[in-house]
Amino acid sequence: MEGYTRGAGSGCSNPKLFFVSAHLKPTGKSISIEFISALHRPQPLTISQMPSLERLLEQVADGERAALERLFRLEAGRMLAIARRIVRRKDLAEEVIQDVFVTIWRKASQFDAGRGSARAWLSIIVRHRALNVIRDGARMDHHDPESLAELGDREADATSAYEALPDDMSLRQCLGDLDPQRRSCIILAYVVGYSHGEIAARLKAPVGTVKAWIRRGLLALRECMS
Amino acid sequence: MSSAEDRIARAGEYVLGLMDEDERRRAEADIATDAAFANEVARFADQFEALQANLEPDEATDELWQAIAARLDEEGGEDTAADAPTQVVPPRPAPRSSRFEGWRNALLAACLVAAFGLGYLGGQYMTPTPNPVVVVVLADDNEIPAAIIEAYGDDSVRFVPLREFDLGEGQVLEAWTQFDEDIGPVSLGTFVEQRERVLSGRGLPAPEPNQFYAISLEDAPGSPVGRPLGPILVQGLAVAPPR
Repeated sequence: MEGYTRGAGSGCSNPKLFFVSAHLKPTGKSISIEFISALHRPQPLTISQMPSLERLLEQVADGERAALERLFRLEAGRMLAIARRIVRRKDLAEEVIQDVFVTIWRKASQFDAGRGSARAWLSIIVRHRALNVIRDGARMDHHDPESLAELGDREADATSAYEALPDDMSLRQCLGDLDPQRRSCIILAYVVGYSHGEIAARLKAPVGTVKAWIRRGLLALRECMS
Repeated sequence: MSSAEDRIARAGEYVLGLMDEDERRRAEADIATDAAFANEVARFADQFEALQANLEPDEATDELWQAIAARLDEEGGEDTAADAPTQVVPPRPAPRSSRFEGWRNALLAACLVAAFGLGYLGGQYMTPTPNPVVVVVLADDNEIPAAIIEAYGDDSVRFVPLREFDLGEGQVLEAWTQFDEDIGPVSLGTFVEQRERVLSGRGLPAPEPNQFYAISLEDAPGSPVGRPLGPILVQGLAVAPPR
């Protein structure tokens, strides 16, 4: 026990939670890609009842590399698309997915089918990893014309994601009930990973106002969908 | 904004990805101790999932999979599919951070005591402080607090059991912490008596917020493999109290 060096200290390995940490390959820097799993598991699904993604995650948690590869074949395309909507570049999206699959390999045992779907779990790991990448300024150059053009597409992506929601879906209806600016804030944040500052610049509103819009919008959504 | 509203709004911001690192760490700490907050996070996560349900997948190439597989090989991942997991012996040596595998099957019956301490490596951490550096509420699988740990800056730890648990003959309690995922869980000592105590520390890094602590039930004289073999009885994440 003697002689350990001071660690990176992310330390978030409570098995009840999905505090998933990924390690950036180039720097070894520990980055927390948090997400939650189950605090309670009243009625865990049996293996035979589990949808395939949940089952695959179980197998990955048991150390089956083949299950991780099957998961890759099934989900990596979708995960790449989610990441690319945020990072905008194919190479960066692929880097995100590499990190994400290493994280899944390490952390699949923390997934809990008693709370939330495997797909939502995977999506949020991807989103948070992608957000880490774009908020690390050294990783992207926004000044070249190609990048600027790509960034211009982000808002179109956000709008189309909202419009693709089925009319009878409660998320669609509840987002539709929001004040348009609050709706825009939430969609821009979720779909393309805009920060408070980016949203404020886009909507020409003070950052504090944007924060308040989002918080109130989230409360309204929560009430509408419950 | 009421505390209930604040909880919902923060859960939403967390899922949207609008938190900075500090806010996110606090949210993670709250998830550990606040089931209502954790539920709100899960709810938003599932609901927003619909915003990417119709996304056209990109091409996931074989080259990308090969790159992932190479990363896993490089980082010590092993294919252990042939080993059948059992509750007693976690079978998966592969990912280092999976050493907590098996911890989830926590038993309700448990007991809590500790005879261990935390310490510091560098001289800069040796100055005694009157207040605990971190406090940990250890809760059982039903989220009921069962013990408190206070780790001080002078190489000592105060351990306060909040209730008594059954300990079978030939069994001991073993305390663990994880301060570095690459190192994995580290044993803080074994014990059988259940009483409050202050213990001197060992050569570990300074305790930090969000550091993971747990107590497992082991056969005497304790886990021989440097990671928990028995069920995790209680666990918690460290919080740095305001000064």
